[in-house]
Amino acid sequence: MVALQLDSLLVALMIAALLLLLTAVLPWILSVASSKSRVVKEELVEVVKCLKCDYESVRKYEKGDYVGKVVGSCPNDKGSLVVKAIYVERYTQTK
Amino acid sequence: MCAVDGSNEIASYLIVLLFLASFLMNFTDIPQRIQMQRFSSFVRKRLYALEELEADTRRKAIAYMSSVGIKEPSKVLEGFIDNFFLIRPVDIEPTDIIKRLKHLIRVREGSVRDYVRTVLSEADRSIQYSVESVLEVVSALRLLNKLIRHYLELGLKYNNWILVMQLAMQIPEVVEVAKAYAGSIDAFSSGIPIGDSVGPLVAKMLVGWGEPTRELSEGTDLYEVEIDKRKVYVIKASGPGSNVGWPGEALERLVREYDGEIERIITVDAALKLESEESGEVAYGAGAAIGDPGPEKIAMERVASEHSIPLDAVVVKMSEAEALSPLSKKIYEGALRAYDTVLKIIREKVREGGTVVVIGVGNTVGVR
Repeated sequence: MVALQLDSLLVALMIAALLLLLTAVLPWILSVASSKSRVVKEELVEVVKCLKCDYESVRKYEKGDYVGKVVGSCPNDKGSLVVKAIYVERYTQTK
Repeated sequence: MCAVDGSNEIASYLIVLLFLASFLMNFTDIPQRIQMQRFSSFVRKRLYALEELEADTRRKAIAYMSSVGIKEPSKVLEGFIDNFFLIRPVDIEPTDIIKRLKHLIRVREGSVRDYVRTVLSEADRSIQYSVESVLEVVSALRLLNKLIRHYLELGLKYNNWILVMQLAMQIPEVVEVAKAYAGSIDAFSSGIPIGDSVGPLVAKMLVGWGEPTRELSEGTDLYEVEIDKRKVYVIKASGPGSNVGWPGEALERLVREYDGEIERIITVDAALKLESEESGEVAYGAGAAIGDPGPEKIAMERVASEHSIPLDAVVVKMSEAEALSPLSKKIYEGALRAYDTVLKIIREKVREGGTVVVIGVGNTVGVR
């Protein structure tokens, strides 16, 4: 039990070393804790719009499409369907 | 009590070690040298990542050029990179600086266009524009990597730890921009709108997806529509290839054609957001919303002030990376708000029967 007796100065030094170690890893702990969400899936979609009525829908992007391209006819009134926008839809997951 | 004596001895050694370490850290250059090694290794790691990004972009560029029918695409790429630089005009004598800058920009653009035409003469103009953009992206990434390596090697050569440290502090931002550049190559080659396309997108919404009336200047179209009994001239770059057109020159021509009989000019463009701002935020103010090196912007300001035409600016906020990346939902929603803002300005500030010009500024990739 004598072997377990430690000088108080040595204990203080060990505590100081532990605190220094904590300070070094604190930014990493904080960055891990603060990351709220991450993108899990990205999908390219396009908004198509009827030139005659208010019909509008979002569908998967088709290669070769561009904004302003006529891509078919409206299911409601057979008016021309035009690509209104193409954008990336991001699905995120909160930690 | 020998164990207690032993711990005292350890403590004494540690104190001596602490004093010695404190002396070395405070009165020698050792900490700076250690830091320089740490920072240079940090920069080097990112530089390798940047070089990998460049190699990947090169592969994509070669694949794209090959797909549009360019023979020996790697030779075409190598012939472009490191060439076609632009020496800025003398600015200690500012007389005619805009005229000189405009001339030099046109000369450079003409040379790039001719270079692409020689290898792709048969292709559609919008494909030629996209090939130009793809070449510019690879060239920009090459320049970025060369600059980073230059400053790193300069810092190490002269033991300039401040330079290396500055580089280490800035490189995460540079990597983000480089990633955005690399990402834009997919958009340019596939014809997908990017963040910077919000101006042309709003312009296209205003014209109700119609076709242009005529070409005002090279690669810049004019549309004519009527909105709530107001005559609206809409100017945008010719799409759907990657193209920004010459909106300043086009506006100048249009206003002169109509002897200044224009009530208002509205410019719509993407604007860099501050970190505290949300992407897709819309704001409006006065002035020409355009981020060119000078000639196009000054042409707008000059023609507006010459004829005392109010010049409005509507901007959609986004980061530099978002401006170069494929359009996100947030930016698209911003474009819808910008469209409403433009309509509001037309209804509130232009009288019935009046004439207004709206310019959709930006790269029209993916927007006809």
